Amino acid sequence: MNTLIIIDQAPYGSWEGREALDMAFSLAAFDQPVSLLFCGAGVNWLRKGQNAAKVQQKSVERNLAAAPIFGVDVLLAEGKACHQYGLTKSDLLDHVSITDFGSDLTDRFDHVAFAG
Amino acid sequence: MSISSSEQTKTPAPAGVFTLVITGAPYSSQAPQTALSFARAALAAHKRIDRVFLYGDGVHLASSLVTPPSDEPNLSEAWANFLAEHDIPGVACIASALRRGLVNETEMQRYKLSASNLRAPFEIAGLGEWVASTGSGSRLLYFHRGN
Repeated sequence: MNTLIIIDQAPYGSWEGREALDMAFSLAAFDQPVSLLFCGAGVNWLRKGQNAAKVQQKSVERNLAAAPIFGVDVLLAEGKACHQYGLTKSDLLDHVSITDFGSDLTDRFDHVAFAG
Repeated sequence: MSISSSEQTKTPAPAGVFTLVITGAPYSSQAPQTALSFARAALAAHKRIDRVFLYGDGVHLASSLVTPPSDEPNLSEAWANFLAEHDIPGVACIASALRRGLVNETEMQRYKLSASNLRAPFEIAGLGEWVASTGSGSRLLYFHRGN
Protein backbone atom coordinates (compact mmCIF):
# COMPACT_ATOMS: atom_id res chain seq x y z
CA MET A 1 0.00 0.00 0.00
CA ASN A 2 1.71 3.15 -1.25
CA THR A 3 0.19 6.38 0.08
CA LEU A 4 0.42 9.99 -1.10
CA ILE A 5 -0.58 12.67 1.42
CA ILE A 6 -1.29 16.06 -0.17
CA ILE A 7 -0.99 19.34 1.71
CA ASP A 8 -2.54 22.23 -0.20
CA GLN A 9 -2.78 24.83 2.56
CA ALA A 10 -0.21 27.37 3.74
CA PRO A 11 1.52 26.55 7.03
CA TYR A 12 0.51 28.19 10.35
CA GLY A 13 -3.05 29.14 9.27
CA SER A 14 -4.74 25.92 10.38
CA TRP A 15 -3.87 22.62 12.01
CA GLU A 16 -4.94 20.50 9.07
CA GLY A 17 -1.51 20.42 7.49
CA ARG A 18 0.16 19.45 10.75
CA GLU A 19 -2.33 16.68 11.30
CA ALA A 20 -1.77 15.46 7.74
CA LEU A 21 1.94 15.39 8.52
CA ASP A 22 1.14 13.24 11.58
CA MET A 23 -0.70 10.84 9.26
CA ALA A 24 2.39 10.56 7.06
CA PHE A 25 4.71 9.98 10.03
CA SER A 26 2.28 7.42 11.41
CA LEU A 27 2.29 5.43 8.18
CA ALA A 28 6.08 5.56 8.16
CA ALA A 29 6.18 4.36 11.78
CA PHE A 30 4.27 1.27 10.64
CA ASP A 31 6.73 0.78 7.76
CA GLN A 32 4.18 1.78 5.11
CA PRO A 33 5.62 3.65 2.12
CA VAL A 34 4.43 7.25 2.09
CA SER A 35 5.20 10.39 0.10
CA LEU A 36 4.16 13.98 0.79
CA LEU A 37 3.11 16.39 -1.94
CA PHE A 38 2.86 20.13 -1.29
CA CYS A 39 0.74 21.99 -3.80
CA GLY A 40 -0.93 25.37 -4.12
CA ALA A 41 -0.22 27.54 -1.07
CA GLY A 42 1.11 24.38 0.57
CA VAL A 43 4.50 24.81 -1.15
CA ASN A 44 5.25 27.48 1.48
CA TRP A 45 5.75 24.65 3.96
CA LEU A 46 9.00 23.90 2.16
CA ARG A 47 10.69 27.31 2.52
CA LYS A 48 14.08 27.44 4.21
CA GLY A 49 14.57 29.72 7.21
CA GLN A 50 11.10 29.74 8.76
CA ASN A 51 10.64 31.40 12.15
CA ALA A 52 7.25 30.61 13.67
CA ALA A 53 8.01 31.73 17.23
CA LYS A 54 6.24 35.05 16.77
CA VAL A 55 2.96 33.28 16.04
CA GLN A 56 3.50 30.91 18.98
CA GLN A 57 3.93 27.88 16.80
CA LYS A 58 6.69 25.37 16.22
CA SER A 59 8.42 25.70 12.87
CA VAL A 60 7.17 23.12 10.39
CA GLU A 61 10.59 23.27 8.74
CA ARG A 62 12.03 21.24 11.61
CA ASN A 63 9.33 18.59 11.24
CA LEU A 64 9.98 18.33 7.52
CA ALA A 65 13.75 18.23 7.95
CA ALA A 66 13.20 15.16 10.14
CA ALA A 67 10.91 13.44 7.61
CA PRO A 68 13.60 11.26 6.00
CA ILE A 69 14.77 10.13 9.46
CA PHE A 70 11.24 9.00 10.29
CA GLY A 71 10.93 7.10 7.02
CA VAL A 72 8.84 9.50 4.93
CA ASP A 73 10.47 8.63 1.63
CA VAL A 74 9.71 11.51 -0.66
CA LEU A 75 8.87 15.22 -0.30
CA LEU A 76 7.40 16.65 -3.49
CA ALA A 77 6.63 20.26 -4.45
CA GLU A 78 4.25 21.20 -7.25
CA GLY A 79 6.34 23.05 -9.83
CA LYS A 80 3.56 25.39 -10.95
CA ALA A 81 2.85 26.52 -7.38
CA CYS A 82 6.58 27.06 -6.70
CA HIS A 83 6.70 29.32 -9.72
CA GLN A 84 3.57 31.16 -8.57
CA TYR A 85 5.12 31.85 -5.15
CA GLY A 86 8.52 32.74 -6.60
CA LEU A 87 10.24 29.73 -5.07
CA THR A 88 13.23 28.21 -6.79
CA LYS A 89 15.04 25.01 -5.85
CA SER A 90 17.50 26.97 -3.71
CA ASP A 91 14.65 28.44 -1.60
CA LEU A 92 13.35 24.97 -0.73
CA LEU A 93 14.51 22.44 1.83
CA ASP A 94 17.35 20.28 0.52
CA HIS A 95 15.60 16.96 0.01
CA VAL A 96 12.57 18.28 -1.94
CA SER A 97 11.84 17.21 -5.53
CA ILE A 98 9.82 19.44 -7.86
CA THR A 99 7.10 17.69 -9.83
CA ASP A 100 3.99 18.18 -11.94
CA PHE A 101 0.71 17.49 -10.14
CA GLY A 102 -1.77 15.40 -12.08
CA SER A 103 -3.01 11.90 -12.64
CA ASP A 104 0.42 10.78 -13.88
CA LEU A 105 1.59 11.37 -10.32
CA THR A 106 -1.43 10.19 -8.33
CA ASP A 107 -1.75 7.00 -10.42
CA ARG A 108 1.54 5.83 -8.93
CA PHE A 109 -0.13 5.53 -5.49
CA ASP A 110 -2.69 3.10 -4.09
CA HIS A 111 -4.10 5.63 -1.68
CA VAL A 112 -4.24 9.43 -2.00
CA ALA A 113 -5.46 11.68 0.82
CA PHE A 114 -5.79 15.46 1.05
CA ALA A 115 -5.01 17.29 4.29
CA GLY A 116 -8.42 18.87 4.54
CA MET B 1 -8.55 21.06 -3.01
CA SER B 2 -6.82 22.23 -6.15
CA ILE B 3 -7.28 19.20 -8.36
CA SER B 4 -10.50 17.65 -9.53
CA SER B 5 -9.48 14.10 -10.24
CA SER B 6 -11.86 11.50 -11.53
CA GLU B 7 -12.86 8.69 -9.21
CA GLN B 8 -10.03 6.38 -8.31
CA THR B 9 -10.59 3.17 -10.20
CA LYS B 10 -7.52 1.29 -9.02
CA THR B 11 -8.66 1.04 -5.44
CA PRO B 12 -8.38 -2.45 -3.97
CA ALA B 13 -11.95 -2.37 -2.67
CA PRO B 14 -14.14 -4.34 -5.02
CA ALA B 15 -16.56 -5.61 -2.38
CA GLY B 16 -18.14 -2.31 -1.40
CA VAL B 17 -16.54 -1.99 2.01
CA PHE B 18 -15.95 1.57 3.16
CA THR B 19 -13.99 3.27 5.89
CA LEU B 20 -15.11 6.85 6.49
CA VAL B 21 -12.70 9.49 7.75
CA ILE B 22 -14.43 12.64 9.01
CA THR B 23 -12.18 15.67 9.50
CA GLY B 24 -14.79 18.45 9.39
CA ALA B 25 -16.41 19.53 12.67
CA PRO B 26 -20.17 19.47 13.24
CA TYR B 27 -21.82 22.92 13.11
CA SER B 28 -18.76 24.39 11.36
CA SER B 29 -18.89 22.18 8.31
CA GLN B 30 -21.29 19.92 6.48
CA ALA B 31 -18.86 16.98 6.65
CA PRO B 32 -20.60 14.97 9.44
CA GLN B 33 -24.05 15.22 7.78
CA THR B 34 -22.69 14.35 4.34
CA ALA B 35 -20.84 11.38 5.80
CA LEU B 36 -23.95 10.19 7.64
CA SER B 37 -26.06 10.48 4.49
CA PHE B 38 -23.42 8.50 2.61
CA ALA B 39 -23.26 5.85 5.33
CA ARG B 40 -27.05 5.40 5.35
CA ALA B 41 -27.14 5.18 1.56
CA ALA B 42 -24.29 2.67 1.55
CA LEU B 43 -26.05 0.36 4.00
CA ALA B 44 -29.31 0.72 2.09
CA ALA B 45 -27.42 -0.45 -1.00
CA HIS B 46 -26.12 -3.48 0.94
CA LYS B 47 -22.58 -2.13 1.20
CA ARG B 48 -20.61 -2.32 4.42
CA ILE B 49 -19.07 0.40 6.59
CA ASP B 50 -15.99 -1.09 8.21
CA ARG B 51 -15.41 1.78 10.62
CA VAL B 52 -15.64 5.54 11.04
CA PHE B 53 -12.50 7.42 11.98
CA LEU B 54 -12.69 10.96 13.39
CA TYR B 55 -9.62 13.07 12.78
CA GLY B 56 -8.70 16.72 13.28
CA ASP B 57 -11.78 18.87 13.94
CA GLY B 58 -13.93 15.83 13.21
CA VAL B 59 -13.37 14.59 16.78
CA HIS B 60 -15.89 17.17 18.05
CA LEU B 61 -18.54 14.83 16.70
CA ALA B 62 -17.78 12.41 19.55
CA SER B 63 -18.49 14.89 22.34
CA SER B 64 -21.26 14.01 24.78
CA LEU B 65 -21.66 17.71 25.61
CA VAL B 66 -22.97 18.82 22.22
CA THR B 67 -26.26 20.62 22.94
CA PRO B 68 -27.74 22.38 19.92
CA PRO B 69 -31.02 24.35 20.07
CA SER B 70 -34.04 22.06 20.11
CA ASP B 71 -34.98 22.83 16.51
CA GLU B 72 -31.57 21.76 15.19
CA PRO B 73 -30.39 18.16 14.78
CA ASN B 74 -28.01 16.79 17.39
CA LEU B 75 -25.36 15.48 15.02
CA SER B 76 -23.31 13.75 17.73
CA GLU B 77 -26.35 11.90 18.93
CA ALA B 78 -27.44 11.01 15.39
CA TRP B 79 -24.02 9.57 14.60
CA ALA B 80 -23.77 7.71 17.92
CA ASN B 81 -27.21 6.16 17.37
CA PHE B 82 -26.32 5.14 13.83
CA LEU B 83 -23.06 3.50 14.93
CA ALA B 84 -24.73 1.64 17.81
CA GLU B 85 -27.66 0.50 15.71
CA HIS B 86 -25.43 -0.97 13.02
CA ASP B 87 -22.59 -2.10 15.28
CA ILE B 88 -20.02 0.00 13.42
CA PRO B 89 -16.87 1.03 15.33
CA GLY B 90 -16.41 4.80 15.69
CA VAL B 91 -12.87 5.84 16.57
CA ALA B 92 -11.58 9.32 17.46
CA CYS B 93 -7.84 9.92 16.99
CA ILE B 94 -6.29 10.34 20.41
CA ALA B 95 -3.90 13.16 19.47
CA SER B 96 -6.63 15.16 17.73
CA ALA B 97 -9.03 14.49 20.61
CA LEU B 98 -6.76 15.47 23.49
CA ARG B 99 -5.73 18.68 21.75
CA ARG B 100 -9.39 19.68 21.45
CA GLY B 101 -10.55 18.70 24.91
CA LEU B 102 -12.26 15.44 24.05
CA VAL B 103 -11.33 12.76 26.60
CA ASN B 104 -12.54 9.42 27.87
CA GLU B 105 -12.28 8.32 31.49
CA THR B 106 -8.85 6.76 31.01
CA GLU B 107 -7.39 9.99 29.65
CA MET B 108 -9.22 12.01 32.29
CA GLN B 109 -7.41 10.05 34.97
CA ARG B 110 -4.09 10.02 33.15
CA TYR B 111 -4.04 13.81 32.79
CA LYS B 112 -5.89 14.50 36.06
CA LEU B 113 -8.70 16.37 34.29
CA SER B 114 -11.95 17.42 35.91
CA ALA B 115 -14.29 15.60 33.53
CA SER B 116 -14.58 13.26 30.58
CA ASN B 117 -16.87 13.81 27.60
CA LEU B 118 -16.55 10.97 25.11
CA ARG B 119 -19.94 9.83 23.86
CA ALA B 120 -20.54 6.07 23.59
CA PRO B 121 -20.08 4.09 21.39
CA PHE B 122 -17.17 6.25 20.19
CA GLU B 123 -13.73 5.13 21.31
CA ILE B 124 -10.39 6.87 21.42
CA ALA B 125 -7.41 5.24 19.70
CA GLY B 126 -4.20 6.07 17.89
CA LEU B 127 -3.56 6.78 14.24
CA GLY B 128 -2.54 3.14 13.92
CA GLU B 129 -6.26 2.41 13.49
CA TRP B 130 -6.29 4.58 10.39
CA VAL B 131 -3.04 3.05 9.13
CA ALA B 132 -4.64 -0.39 9.49
CA SER B 133 -7.61 0.81 7.45
CA THR B 134 -5.36 1.94 4.59
CA GLY B 135 -4.19 -1.64 4.26
CA SER B 136 -7.50 -3.36 5.01
CA GLY B 137 -8.91 -3.53 1.51
CA SER B 138 -11.74 -1.16 2.34
CA ARG B 139 -12.18 2.04 0.37
CA LEU B 140 -11.32 5.11 2.41
CA LEU B 141 -13.50 8.15 1.93
CA TYR B 142 -12.58 11.50 3.47
CA PHE B 143 -15.17 14.03 4.56
CA HIS B 144 -13.39 17.37 4.92
CA ARG B 145 -14.72 20.79 5.85
CA GLY B 146 -14.17 22.04 2.30
CA ASN B 147 -12.95 25.52 1.54
